[in-house]
Amino acid sequence: MSGLKINWKITTLLILGTLFILFPLYLTIVIAFKTPEEMGGNLLALPESWSFDNFLTAIEVTNFYQSFFNSLIVTVASVVMAILIHSLVAYAIARNIHKKFYKFLYIYFISAMFVPFPIIMLPIVKQTSFLGMDNLLGLAFLTIVMHLALNVFIYVGYVKTIPIALEEAATIDGASTWTTFWKIIFPLMTPMHATVGILTALAAWNDFMLPLIVLSDESQYTLPLVQYAFQGQFSTNYNLAFASYLLAILPMIIVYIFAQKWIIGGVMRGSVK
Amino acid sequence: MKKITKMTTIILLSASLLIGCNSEENDDKVTLEFFSNKPESMDFYESLIEEFEEEHPKINIEFEVPPEPVTVMRTKLTRNKLPDIMSISGDSLYGEMGREGFLYDFSDSDLLTTIQPTYLDMLSRLVGEEVDGNYGIPYATNAVSVIYNKDKLTKYNLEVPTTWDEFIQVLQTVKDNGEIPIYYTLQDAWTAMPSWNAIASNLVPKDFNVMKTNGETTFQESYQEVAEKAATLTEYGQRDIIGVGYDDGNRAFANGEGVFYIQGNWVVPELLRINSELELGTFALPATNNPKENKLISGVDATLAISEATEHKEEALQFIEFMLREDIAKRYTEDQKAFSAIKGIVQEDEAFKGIKHHFENGSITSFVDHYYPNGLGQEGIVQEFYINNDIEQALKKFDSEWNKVIDR
Amino acid sequence: MKAKKDRAFLWMVVPAFILFFAFHTFPVLQGVFFSFTDYKGYGSWDFTGLKNYFNVFQDTRALSAYGFTFQFAIIATILVNIISIFIALGLNANIKFRKTLRATYFIPYILSVLIVSYIFRFIFTHVLPDIGSSLGIEAISTNILGNPDLAWIGIVILAVWQAAAFNTLLYLAGLATIDQQVYEAASIDGANAWQTFWKVTFPLVAPFFTINMVVAMKNFLMAFDQIVGLTGGGPGTSTESISLLIYTSGLGGGQFAYQSANAVIYFIVIVVISVFQLRVLERREAK
Repeated sequence: MSGLKINWKITTLLILGTLFILFPLYLTIVIAFKTPEEMGGNLLALPESWSFDNFLTAIEVTNFYQSFFNSLIVTVASVVMAILIHSLVAYAIARNIHKKFYKFLYIYFISAMFVPFPIIMLPIVKQTSFLGMDNLLGLAFLTIVMHLALNVFIYVGYVKTIPIALEEAATIDGASTWTTFWKIIFPLMTPMHATVGILTALAAWNDFMLPLIVLSDESQYTLPLVQYAFQGQFSTNYNLAFASYLLAILPMIIVYIFAQKWIIGGVMRGSVK
Repeated sequence: MKKITKMTTIILLSASLLIGCNSEENDDKVTLEFFSNKPESMDFYESLIEEFEEEHPKINIEFEVPPEPVTVMRTKLTRNKLPDIMSISGDSLYGEMGREGFLYDFSDSDLLTTIQPTYLDMLSRLVGEEVDGNYGIPYATNAVSVIYNKDKLTKYNLEVPTTWDEFIQVLQTVKDNGEIPIYYTLQDAWTAMPSWNAIASNLVPKDFNVMKTNGETTFQESYQEVAEKAATLTEYGQRDIIGVGYDDGNRAFANGEGVFYIQGNWVVPELLRINSELELGTFALPATNNPKENKLISGVDATLAISEATEHKEEALQFIEFMLREDIAKRYTEDQKAFSAIKGIVQEDEAFKGIKHHFENGSITSFVDHYYPNGLGQEGIVQEFYINNDIEQALKKFDSEWNKVIDR
Repeated sequence: MKAKKDRAFLWMVVPAFILFFAFHTFPVLQGVFFSFTDYKGYGSWDFTGLKNYFNVFQDTRALSAYGFTFQFAIIATILVNIISIFIALGLNANIKFRKTLRATYFIPYILSVLIVSYIFRFIFTHVLPDIGSSLGIEAISTNILGNPDLAWIGIVILAVWQAAAFNTLLYLAGLATIDQQVYEAASIDGANAWQTFWKVTFPLVAPFFTINMVVAMKNFLMAFDQIVGLTGGGPGTSTESISLLIYTSGLGGGQFAYQSANAVIYFIVIVVISVFQLRVLERREAK
């Protein structure tokens, strides 16, 4: 377009636009630090003092460390299982897509994208509880089941671009299919592992509906579910509520600040596929 | 690349181990789950539990007060994992759980002897005639009344109204003085019910639900006056009656906005917590012009029940016994501003002086909507009615929804 | 050798297949099965044939949930895509602080929808009315979430705020595939910015546009978290989405079987829409 000249008009517009993005976050921070007495004044003003009392209360009342830990377990377990299981499935499908069975399997898995969750919702409540899976482990399993379609789709698209000659060479050297996968293909899929890992992690960390339906024990609640469960206690104290919200979104924000280039790159890579 | 595989296996294993650990702490203790549907009584229950655990070091109680308690309770039923002990309201869900055999039958226990028979009857009516047994212990009872700000009433020199016409006159006077007569919190659908119940319970025949189900009457026939009166009251609400929720409404009313507040007794401790200086009075909503016919609506607010399937019946019973102890029950009524279902324990709070005589001479009636069928969605219908003010549409909707629900 | 290889491939898919069948397909079949009964989710049950299905079609609450969900999904999809294209175009232009701006616009995607909804509820209930009444703007001086005719707008605003982040990124990825020379050719031909957009840029990102529309629409049709956090389906049932209705009535109202029938109908509706969208997509690609 206009060569190297910086377009200041667009830059200004975009900077103004970020106000819409940042305003709710600003509000959250300000209210989280205020005392209930300050709420009568200007809501948007800065707090009179930056006291951490609300946060300490919120940590204690909502049992923050426990729920943070719960969220972490589910997220880590989901990501690890997604990367291991989904990449295997995608590899097997991509290399055998000419066979009827694998073609069918691919369509079968992908069609899950069109199944609305509500039809699974009610039976899954019964089933997870019947199988003793109404806990964090069950939640992690369900998370990877629900993300199977998308992740396999992303992986298959990528595996197709890996030349088959590499594997043939390995086979001639006497490597088994498993060894070929772990030694050659799995490392080559690293860019997609990042993408799948990021998408699964964000989904698992922020999910509300699945934990709401699956988890039966309050001590296993994840961070978003805790915010829901504590609405009653928060009712009379917005400052406590917002301190708790801020605590709940803070871990992701911190991760994002340090890894934003990587996260954005990962998500974009997934979308070009 | 073996490394990655090993690493991930280690992470996976340790994660599952950690999950395992979580569920296996305190192995020599008995852990009981205790479910309550009232966020208002949360702090109080928590302190009671602490006390109980001190007295019974072998028992550990896990307390749960979820939002949307009815949904959570039914989800638990669907999971077939009921909490060991429950404190729930005496409504149609309780009736269903009793009928379906989910709850322990207290009939053989001597815990029932101290309970007022009126409330035991109320609970058995909910379970229905086909099934015998006492599946819950009425513990605390509630009352929906008109709560008023004493200072304001004195300020305008007004008397507590005893008839419908007097009530409207009082409201008009308040309005003329530029003050909000009734504060509504209709953003939360359930808060549409107290005023609806208070009027309907006094105007609609008791067997309406049976007649309606048998097709002998309709809402359009029986609820015309109820809807008219309920709509009349909203004319005396604040400007944005639908834009305010229960919590914000409590804060506004406690801080002096509005003169009257149509709510249950459970809101009183909440209001006093927000403003401890507040002086409150109460009276039964005068739905008719005959003071003798105007009854107070009261129901079983907290029913104590034990899951039939619990593995720790004995420990659960110990907790119930503890709750029924006279000193504890008394403290409950004082702290929660509730009324006790236990003989001899009376609510002495100044705020409830105005409705005390209803309890003494039995001029009490139960909530009409406790006898509406499950899943009718009355809260949404009444809320919508308050928004649109269309009587015919609302009553038609009640009729058609009722027919559909009983057909489901 | 060949057989061994085949067996290895089979073992790669078997665990996932079992898991998927047990926790996806089997529940779907269960849902379909129970939709022909009067099961409450517990206790005893009987077969009732197609009765639930007939009832859903006469159920004003269900029908209004469908109405709301589609109205919301269509409007939110269109708005998200328009706004995302423009932000993406802006971020793709020659601007200063591109990395920082891009990172800022992506923030909403990393936040929990439920928690953001709680924050927005506070904004709609307290902040906006305050601003509205101090500026004397009648329209926003009351809580829009309390107005059954306006509450859906609040949900759309939140949904757009949240979803634009992801869609912007998808468009950015699409724009990055466009060769700069195309623009140079356009500017030599004397095209202005508007013409360049419609004649050059848009046709090139069109495949992304279609995919984004399909994906965004599908997500909005499942709306749940936003509504739980903002309105809980109210006032009345004016913002009750299908997912929320199935959850609250199916679990909370003891209508397990009845709402399963509703879910089956919803499933069919989604499939029909998806097939339709894919047809349109195919036709476009064939061109």
